[in-house]
Amino acid sequence: MAQYRTQARIIADVLTTARDMNTEGSGVGITTLLRKGNMSYSRMSKLLTELVGSGLLLELNKEKISRYKISDRGLQFLQAYYQFEDFAQSFGLRL
Amino acid sequence: MTARFYTRNGANRSETMAGGVDVSLIEDMLQFIGVFVSFSIAYVAFRGLKQTRSPALLRLATAFLFLGVGFMVQAVLGLDGVVTVLPALTTTAVAGLVVASALMETAGYFFLAFSHALDVMFSRRLKVSLLLFPVFTLSAAQTTDALSILSFYFILYGVLETITAYARNRKPDTLLIALGLALLGAGTFVAWLSLMYPVVYVLSLVQIIIKEVGLMILFIPVLSYALGGKANGPI
Repeated sequence: MAQYRTQARIIADVLTTARDMNTEGSGVGITTLLRKGNMSYSRMSKLLTELVGSGLLLELNKEKISRYKISDRGLQFLQAYYQFEDFAQSFGLRL
Repeated sequence: MTARFYTRNGANRSETMAGGVDVSLIEDMLQFIGVFVSFSIAYVAFRGLKQTRSPALLRLATAFLFLGVGFMVQAVLGLDGVVTVLPALTTTAVAGLVVASALMETAGYFFLAFSHALDVMFSRRLKVSLLLFPVFTLSAAQTTDALSILSFYFILYGVLETITAYARNRKPDTLLIALGLALLGAGTFVAWLSLMYPVVYVLSLVQIIIKEVGLMILFIPVLSYALGGKANGPI
């Protein structure tokens, strides 16, 4: 059965992809994020706009193509997420 | 003063155990441990809420905030029986505070059960959970007694869901939380018995000891977070 993902989990997944797949330092394209994030294009676009707006992701525009890179704030969020995910799991809950 | 020698059950507080130990005094001291543990868990959950904005942590923080306030009201009322800490209160005011503390405690357990219910709903295990969800049997007894019955069902549901979560994630911390909650439930059950058999004074002490041991077990996994954080994630 498919595992339900909370909004916080989805954000953490996108940020983790942006961090792990950014091997060359030039950011990650939306195709990679879509493939790893397992969601529709329209939903991903909306989420990316929100994440860039809140400063968790940086948008790099190269040759009219948007690429995304995790910001320091995004890294802090991820660290807090994994820490408190563990805490919530102790109570049998999910973030 | 009026508030002196008044307990949650309305019984006389002057009972003393065989060794000359004042049962109510021990109860009051143990209540303060409950206050400390509940507020510590609420603090860690609030810290997590601030950083992740997770609704699950908001419910968890609210649950333990209510529990902490409930324990605090009970502890202060109890302490007032030994040392005067409250201004002179009428019997009605004291009774109101007693009901309020029971209500807070029940609200705390409700939020804990509610968190699990939402988690279950979102993970599409609703049909199974409906079988487990508490069936309320409100009696015509006093409000505090009715609230403690509700509390028991909420804890029971919390225990069942936490054990289910342990079956999924196999984390020792989850098992400890389940054990802590189970002891809280057992304490509430003994509290019922103490209402049914008010002459058996030791039941009142036993219930608070079981509850406090439960709270302390709950505190073990939380301790590392309370002391500044634990990073078990992949970062």
